[in-house]
Amino acid sequence: MARLLRVWEKKRGKRRTGSKLVGTVGEILFFAALFAAGAVALAALLTSEVFKPGFGFWVMVLVVSSFMLLGSGGVLLTLFHAGASPERRSALVKRAAQIDLRADAAAARPSLPNMPSDTNFINSPGVKLRYRLPVSQSSSWRLVLAGVFCLIWNISAALLVAVAANSFRAQRPEWFLTIFAIPFVMIGGWSVYDFVRQWLLFAGTGPTTLEISNHPLRPGRTYTVALSQAGRIGFQSLAVHLVCEESATYRQGTDIRTEQRRRFDRQLCRRTQIRIDPGRPFEYEFPLHMPEDAMHSFQSEHNAVNWMLVVHGQAEAWPPFERCFPLLVYPQDDGNQTAD
Amino acid sequence: MTATKLLIEPLIGLRIRNPYGVYHPGEVLECEYQIDAVEPNQIQALETSVLWYTEGKGEEDLGVHFFERVRPSDTVDGDLRQLHLFRTRLPPTPLSYSGAILTIRWCVRVRLYWGRGKETSADRVFQLAPSPK
Repeated sequence: MARLLRVWEKKRGKRRTGSKLVGTVGEILFFAALFAAGAVALAALLTSEVFKPGFGFWVMVLVVSSFMLLGSGGVLLTLFHAGASPERRSALVKRAAQIDLRADAAAARPSLPNMPSDTNFINSPGVKLRYRLPVSQSSSWRLVLAGVFCLIWNISAALLVAVAANSFRAQRPEWFLTIFAIPFVMIGGWSVYDFVRQWLLFAGTGPTTLEISNHPLRPGRTYTVALSQAGRIGFQSLAVHLVCEESATYRQGTDIRTEQRRRFDRQLCRRTQIRIDPGRPFEYEFPLHMPEDAMHSFQSEHNAVNWMLVVHGQAEAWPPFERCFPLLVYPQDDGNQTAD
Repeated sequence: MTATKLLIEPLIGLRIRNPYGVYHPGEVLECEYQIDAVEPNQIQALETSVLWYTEGKGEEDLGVHFFERVRPSDTVDGDLRQLHLFRTRLPPTPLSYSGAILTIRWCVRVRLYWGRGKETSADRVFQLAPSPK
């Protein structure tokens, strides 16, 4: 009896103590109940004379309809999961994707399974070398985000401080609000510091560009990379690293987290005591040799292997910066050697 | 005193025709399998797949390269227990990989649906390694 009425189930790896069938039936019943509740509520709403058609009425219709939608969707999805193995589902998804590709097969480049698209890597020609590499996160976007956050947060903090100050002025101090406002103001101060730092980086260091002699890359081959650093300041050091990073996304409770781990990090070049004049960027060419045993780039729903060139800069009296330029690495042999 | 009901699961004999279990992109994988210890009329369906899956810190991803599903009605005598052989040409990617927080493995999986909603599966892991120079 205790086995039948077990409240908690255990999960060890892929094994579970509970019955899969009972779980599926329970899930279907839950979503069916949600659908039924939505349908009953919608029928009651439409036949009731309490709610007259208006804004509130339509909001209620929308909320109740969403119950029906979630319920029916949940039932269908559970049936789909129960009726097919993971391999069969994956095969169906793959077949559906192939139907999509067939429609514009003429325009599509040959692609490898689970390889990120090369479109963004080869659509920008370089000045010195064949391709200009895209930067993964533009410093101007980081500056805009820091600015918007700083503005919104500090306006909210100022309002809180004003209300708290008024309460003191009126001889009725709001102690809870005052204590609540202190960390708010501290975060506001940090956001101003971050914004100023981003502004200094953007205005002082100037853009970094990297160009490469060929792309995508292959293990064991050597390429030429051209670095160009604009700005109006002197650098204590400027270094370029070849990095391979693993990325894994997982659920922890209700959170979705992504962990990144550097698997390979090799310094390709390092220059010290560089002075850059306005209008004349610092330029330097160096070789990039891909390791023989390099894993190719890989991208799936929750996991990835990413290669990139990372530029580390340390300027005189300026905060250090790091800029990433993703690379695409193909395997040694992809059957048809699409890249070269 | 409780009576224990013994449940004998069907046996799946699965063999990859490569003594080292190492393949290179574009090579043909040959595999044979046979079902035993189950009555033919108990078999509902049989799924064969060649797939890669991930292990490690992240959620498991899998990708099917080859998939075949057969039911007793698809065969002449309705018996799926006999020796089956299938072959498939392996793709260029993803290659087998063992990293810090991510591992990519390739395997042949045979999944048998039998009895009333029961299923049994067997895996044989192999390696998809880069082509030698």
